[in-house]
Amino acid sequence: MSVNGITDVEFGDTLPVFDPDTSLANVARFVEAAHWNAPRFTDHEAARAEGLPGALVPGIMSQGFLAAMIHRWAPKAEILYVDTVFRAPVVVDQPCHINGVVTDLDEATGEVEIDLTVTNEAGETRVFGTARARLPN
Amino acid sequence: MILDLHTHSVVSDDGRAKVPNYCQWIRARELPIEGFVLTEHRQFDFASDYSALARQFGLTILKASEVETEYGHVLVFGVTETLTQAFDFADIHLPLAQVIEESERHGAVPVPCHPGRKRVGMAAHIDALGVPEGVRIVEVFNGGSRGEEDRIAAAMADEQNYRGIGGSDAHIVSHIGRCATRFDGAVGSEGELAEALRGGDFEALSYREQA
Repeated sequence: MSVNGITDVEFGDTLPVFDPDTSLANVARFVEAAHWNAPRFTDHEAARAEGLPGALVPGIMSQGFLAAMIHRWAPKAEILYVDTVFRAPVVVDQPCHINGVVTDLDEATGEVEIDLTVTNEAGETRVFGTARARLPN
Repeated sequence: MILDLHTHSVVSDDGRAKVPNYCQWIRARELPIEGFVLTEHRQFDFASDYSALARQFGLTILKASEVETEYGHVLVFGVTETLTQAFDFADIHLPLAQVIEESERHGAVPVPCHPGRKRVGMAAHIDALGVPEGVRIVEVFNGGSRGEEDRIAAAMADEQNYRGIGGSDAHIVSHIGRCATRFDGAVGSEGELAEALRGGDFEALSYREQA
């Protein structure tokens, strides 16, 4: 369910879960567009040779997923920041889920703070952070 | 009394949670905890006063520290001003023996946290450094644990006859209360918390959903 403005939002509201496309093909398209093309993002064997668990979803792509999730929930939101802490790699071709929940809101300014977590299939947190967004009144 | 013994606020460099929002979240979600302990990284937060907030929400809010040693990270409960002068809390290479000795000298209780974690957990260093002297309690439930980390912690606690605590290791609001510790009696101050931990009448709890 999407929201139009701050009056639609309450403390503790849960954003719809977003399952981003972490496939090798999608990551390859992203790194090509971002000029971040490196084997650690697009080649599992090359990444493992660097001691990684597999090819990585780039951090800026994860942040893009987080922003996309917010806009799916609140298409008119202006995202003020997305602040992330990377706890463990997000691995290409491994499904992950993004959860978000409203943990602060100011009706006067229209601003909300959202807790964001990227988890893997085992429910383990790979990335967490907060975002602040401004919604229309 | 049930307390989450391991949380971080924006006072920690990687903490993103504001303490009022933790309180609001606990009440909004009707979490079964009655309070929490802020264990800020590499410091003791003397400056913040949460007493009014605690009264407003009917919660117990206490302060402690998480310091770093050659055996990984260690929670220190019952921190006093004199303890913070006994060693440099900001030093990321503290000798665990010194943390234990000085904590006990000043009435505090050191507890290695997430001991099953690679690099920053105690179990990862035992093969190289041996079993450390003086550890009595470890964190057996950590809300941020991945894979086998909690199992490794519990196995080590069983093997070494350590008592276990639980804490969420929350860095964002919605992660508070994932793990906690139940005490037989009331705990209303940092000193009472240290005393309760020394007394041994507590139990680690996990509220994490099993994937």
